[in-house]
Amino acid sequence: MSGGDPARSELDRRILAWMSEEDASEDEARFEELALQLFSHQFAHCEPFARFCRARGATPEDIGSWREIPPVPTGAFKEMALRSFPPELEHHVFRTSGTATRRRGELHLDTLALYEASLLPSFERHLLPDLEGPSERMRMAILATSPEEAPDSSLSHMFGVVLERRGSPESGFLVQRGELQTERLLGELEEAAESDAAVLLGGTAFAFVHLLEAMESRGHRIALPEGSRVMETGGFKGRSRELTRDVLYQRLHRALDIPPERIVNQYGMTELGSQFYDSVLRFPEAPRRKLAPPWARVRLIDPESGGEAPCGEIGMVTVLDLANTGTVLAIQSADLGRALADGFQVVGREAGAEERGCSIAADEMLLERA
Amino acid sequence: MSAEEIRAALERLREAGRRIRDRPARETISALASVLDTWREPDSRVRRAVRTEYADATGFSPDMVEAAMSRALAGWTGDALRSLVDQELGGIEALEGAAPRNAAGFEVTSVLLAGSLPSPTLIGLLAPLVLRSPVLAKTSNRDPVTPVLVAESVAEADPELGACVEIVRFSGSDAACVEALLAADCVVASGSDQTIASVAARVEPPRRLVGYGHRLSVAAVAADRPADSAARLAEDVALWDQLGCLSPVAVFVADRDPGAAMAFGVELADALADLEERWPRGPVSAETSAAITRERDEAEMRAAGDAPVLVYRSTGSSWTVIVEADARFRPTPLHRFVRVHPVSGLHDLVAALTPVKHHLASVGVGGFAKQPREMTAALTQLGASRICPLGSMQAPPLSWCHDGRGVLLPLARLSDAGL
Repeated sequence: MSGGDPARSELDRRILAWMSEEDASEDEARFEELALQLFSHQFAHCEPFARFCRARGATPEDIGSWREIPPVPTGAFKEMALRSFPPELEHHVFRTSGTATRRRGELHLDTLALYEASLLPSFERHLLPDLEGPSERMRMAILATSPEEAPDSSLSHMFGVVLERRGSPESGFLVQRGELQTERLLGELEEAAESDAAVLLGGTAFAFVHLLEAMESRGHRIALPEGSRVMETGGFKGRSRELTRDVLYQRLHRALDIPPERIVNQYGMTELGSQFYDSVLRFPEAPRRKLAPPWARVRLIDPESGGEAPCGEIGMVTVLDLANTGTVLAIQSADLGRALADGFQVVGREAGAEERGCSIAADEMLLERA
Repeated sequence: MSAEEIRAALERLREAGRRIRDRPARETISALASVLDTWREPDSRVRRAVRTEYADATGFSPDMVEAAMSRALAGWTGDALRSLVDQELGGIEALEGAAPRNAAGFEVTSVLLAGSLPSPTLIGLLAPLVLRSPVLAKTSNRDPVTPVLVAESVAEADPELGACVEIVRFSGSDAACVEALLAADCVVASGSDQTIASVAARVEPPRRLVGYGHRLSVAAVAADRPADSAARLAEDVALWDQLGCLSPVAVFVADRDPGAAMAFGVELADALADLEERWPRGPVSAETSAAITRERDEAEMRAAGDAPVLVYRSTGSSWTVIVEADARFRPTPLHRFVRVHPVSGLHDLVAALTPVKHHLASVGVGGFAKQPREMTAALTQLGASRICPLGSMQAPPLSWCHDGRGVLLPLARLSDAGL
């Protein structure tokens, strides 16, 4: 837990207590109280955030709801260190992958306790809902680098915590020095197929594309045991090979015999302590949508009006996350989405969208030069 | 539209080309000159259709379209076309085998149109006809109107020449249709670098590919008379909603005092707000609106981080001016979104533009440099293909060397005759 400021320690303690409750549930009053207190704390301790909020007339004295806390765009993490603690207490830095821009965003943390406490219950609820209890483990093949190899990757750190707490002994990381260990992975999947014990494959969407290409080029298919599942995350932007999520899921089904309803997309970002998961394993009968843990909220903001987008309309995905005690709790993502029942969906660029003119957005050409 | 229909169109065009080449070249030039004169006439049928059908199809506001067309076509006279022939080919004689250096077009030219601005489409279809090369043009998704209007106006001026233009419409993902279109002897393609590379892979010599990639433009101004410069720059920004390759996306203000850029930003914001009343910006997608919001918010965070950054914005997303603290090129979402950068002089300007030099089109200048010749040389060396006064960025002459090349020469085959 964070050291130093007693008010912050108390906030951390109360949020951690919520995260550790076995059946933690939505509690609007509890969220409101903690969010406003955390906002006050961050307003007092993170000067750029305070100035940003003041410019929008949102001070702790002025606002009465978490909905009024101004969200910080993720791009700001590429420009400055947004800490709500003294720099000398810094304990860890996570960095964005940098695939969408040359500059990498940085999340400066004085503790990993909230990050770790938040990630595990969400993962368990959405990926392991059928496991008996916290002691039951599952074989996990992770298509990502280990936290030892990539200490500044929040995704690697997340998988490290999950493997340590819920992975069986055969589990491991199958990307080394940026290369997918295809032969080893295929060997492990063959072994899993023969063992009849379900396996969880987790990793970036792009790593799965590499696996599929390797399998498809050899005409290789593996029927993984019933109950096996996939957790994939991340997009394809800036990659040479892009494909839709539907196509990815169909190809995974064909290659590994894991149907789309057992493939879970995780929506997360380095700037957030919490993650959001597709509902399909937890609520198989209901439509696929992403669900937030009780200590986070998602709003879809209409970019033209700045207000909340009407239900079902497209808006900017904005997150309020109580796990972000050491940085800023309100984040404006670069993604668009729409609300769906008690969750949301992330929407991509319109297929076939064509710009009206012959000018080029400068970020595209700067990327080309990168 | 099927691949078979496209192949049939190519055959018809080859036949029409043979007929038109049997006639004197000056008849063709006269017909095309009258087409240009028709397009310049504000009350002509084509101009009325541009104000209505084209504006409806593209989402641009009719008032902006009319203002932009008036400026873009002001210098595109029939005489300007004849001058272009003189300038690039040495005269009409070169098209009739009567000059020391002669020129001919290809048997058929295919034109893949991109984007939706009418004037590039107009010259894109007329240029091969000047060389008496028939044109098969594929419309862009965004503008199905202009190519048809051009074809109709050519047919009205000269029915036999009108038979040398056919317009086709199909999805860019229809590989069979694309292959049929690319079978022409000369292919002109506009679009992203990726699109051009994809076409280049399928148009192998001896067939010719003329590619025009996406570009961007900037402005460079002196700090004196900011209101006057800002008003002219705002028009260059607002026309075509900043979506043309000649639309400035950033302005560099030459003054060692960063306050000069701030003062210019205020004037530019006022001018863009005024223009929003006269020439309202067209609607944008949620994605574009979100990108504008994000860039504004990020600028406000930089300001909160103690950088002297200022954000001026409309209600909604219709215009934005960001006064930056430095000259670093940053992403721009277009749609009337301008960044103002301070620079100390020409050296700073060249350094700031170097990361985007391969895509630089035009530089609008408002008294930036004491030695214009030095500035022109430096910007030409960098890759700019047009250096012009503020307020005229959207009105290139007919002979503008688009992408640093000529208008007719890239489409021509030349021969030196010594008989």
